[in-house]
Amino acid sequence: MSENILSVKNLVIHYETDEEVVEAVNNISFDLKKGEILGLVGETGAGKTTTALGIMGLLPTRVGHVIQGSIELDGENLLEKSPREMRKVRGKKISMIFQDPMTALNPVKTVGDQIAEVVLLHERCSRAEAMIRAQKMLAMVGIVPERYKDYPHQFSGGMKQRIVIAIALACEPELLIADEPTTALDVTIQAQILDMMRKLQKEHNTSMILITHDLGVVAEMCDHCAVMYAGELVEYGTVEDIFDNPQHPYTVALYKSIPSLDKDVDRLHVVPGMVTDPSNLPSGCSFSDRCDKKGDMCNKHEAPGIVDLGNGHLVKCLKYKPEVEEK
Amino acid sequence: MENLIEVKNLKKYFSTPRGELHAVDNVSLNIEKGKTIGIVGESGCGKSTLGKTLMRLHNATSGQVLYNGVDIANMPMKEFKKDYRSNIQMIFQDPYSSLDPRMNVLQLIEEPIKVNMKNLSKIEIKEKAQEMMELVGLAKRLENSYPHELDGGRRQRIGIARALSLNPDFIVCDEPVSALDVSIQAQILNLLQNLQAERGLTYMFITHDMSVVKHISDDIAVMYLGQVIEKCPANEIFKHTIHPYSQALLSAIPIPNVHVKKERMILRGELTSPINPKKCCRFVARCPYATEKCHNEEPELRELKTNHSVACHYAEKFM
Repeated sequence: MSENILSVKNLVIHYETDEEVVEAVNNISFDLKKGEILGLVGETGAGKTTTALGIMGLLPTRVGHVIQGSIELDGENLLEKSPREMRKVRGKKISMIFQDPMTALNPVKTVGDQIAEVVLLHERCSRAEAMIRAQKMLAMVGIVPERYKDYPHQFSGGMKQRIVIAIALACEPELLIADEPTTALDVTIQAQILDMMRKLQKEHNTSMILITHDLGVVAEMCDHCAVMYAGELVEYGTVEDIFDNPQHPYTVALYKSIPSLDKDVDRLHVVPGMVTDPSNLPSGCSFSDRCDKKGDMCNKHEAPGIVDLGNGHLVKCLKYKPEVEEK
Repeated sequence: MENLIEVKNLKKYFSTPRGELHAVDNVSLNIEKGKTIGIVGESGCGKSTLGKTLMRLHNATSGQVLYNGVDIANMPMKEFKKDYRSNIQMIFQDPYSSLDPRMNVLQLIEEPIKVNMKNLSKIEIKEKAQEMMELVGLAKRLENSYPHELDGGRRQRIGIARALSLNPDFIVCDEPVSALDVSIQAQILNLLQNLQAERGLTYMFITHDMSVVKHISDDIAVMYLGQVIEKCPANEIFKHTIHPYSQALLSAIPIPNVHVKKERMILRGELTSPINPKKCCRFVARCPYATEKCHNEEPELRELKTNHSVACHYAEKFM
């Protein structure tokens, strides 16, 4: 068993404004082992990005608050660190790839400078050395190093995302958080980028959290998969567990609502209603309003606890509660 | 079955400072009444321009668009607006930016009716709009809501209600679900299919999502740099793909199944520029099988099997 690089425990994050409190992340816990890829799946507003920003310490100031919980990276609690200490962690130990490569880069700086910037910040080296490193990184992500003096607008979307990845990997971080890295890209370019990320991840044994709403991407890339709904982790397990044997009604419904390439269906399965509004969560289970297996207890009972179905396949649903009580 | 729309050698060029941009280059298509044709391709391949040219939102550079045998691409705009605009409607991609933020739901749906059906009274317009809201599944209580108060799925329903309010028989759906979450996407796709079954609508469904297009279409046309490179029934393309680009496009889709490990065909490079293209196969720069002939001659769209046409010099080899 390899050790855990990241361990998130009972994390609760709220966005507080004058009008309302948005419960974006509600009591989630998960571990990430070294060299592993965890897929974080869910629809818009499920709290995927908020979780990532929480780990990075990049929640919007004054509005976003970590209410409780701990985030341990290599045994150190990141939440206890000062902003100054966090700056040393970001980019060096944890890096993040953002969703939209079009806006993630600085338009008035050459791409070479932008990669060298990270190296200069975190490592003791001269500008010239940093520049050489930047060129090496460009070559690694498949861009000719001679283009290091070009500006972002001279690159296409796929190439910009490669540059963002080069920046993220420049200091060989232990943990890489990729927030929908390919959502803005075409499928053929997506295939290139995913292929490259998998190769780099294997070479450097980087641990990775891959945030996406595309279950296909998760099936191809990840070892473990966590399904989020309304700020809660509703199901967690290996990809085999989740794809072959989904247990939570939401995971099952999500899986059925995707049009399939190899099966013919007349009409798609529909999850009734809309994604639950995190500023106005129902009592009890937050999925209960849309659930087709809803029982009388679902609203009355307090939020369902996590049930281990064996082998670390975790589900948060009252359906499985009786089995636990028998044990 | 008769064809509702026949597109013949349609071209749309844009002039840019660097030369002519061939957005749609010599496209010919037939769309049968009551059927759905899916247009797939990567961004920049001209799918949206094709849809907009059919709608007369762009004027064609050359070529014809026959609607029930009448050429609508070359008639005076005034005549088109008077007699044909209400028959051909469009659902736009982004339900966040295609609705006027200062109009409420009822006003938004009334707007196209007001403009196109001048003989109706105010009350009739309102009744018609309310009927549309019911048809697309928008609750009556939302009448006075503004777009910013609604989620993406509901906004897209407004877009659909607007398109349907004029009783069109042909609708161009330009990526209607790509901005939506999967659970909402399923709702909208089912709605579009139900409406088609009820009203005998004909759709042109533009998307980059292969699994969506397979689900909803009867026929599929794959576009690359302004040209249709493969055209066949929807089931056929997933079983007997012929053109190397279509093969690559299909193999690039991640499949939500852990046990299927696919042979990936990863394309090098990206779309080449559609500005002043050379007389050669457009796909030549990325094609793993390219030969001398591909660099010098432009392949034509040839019918290889019934209803299955491919534009590739070596199509027989890939069959």
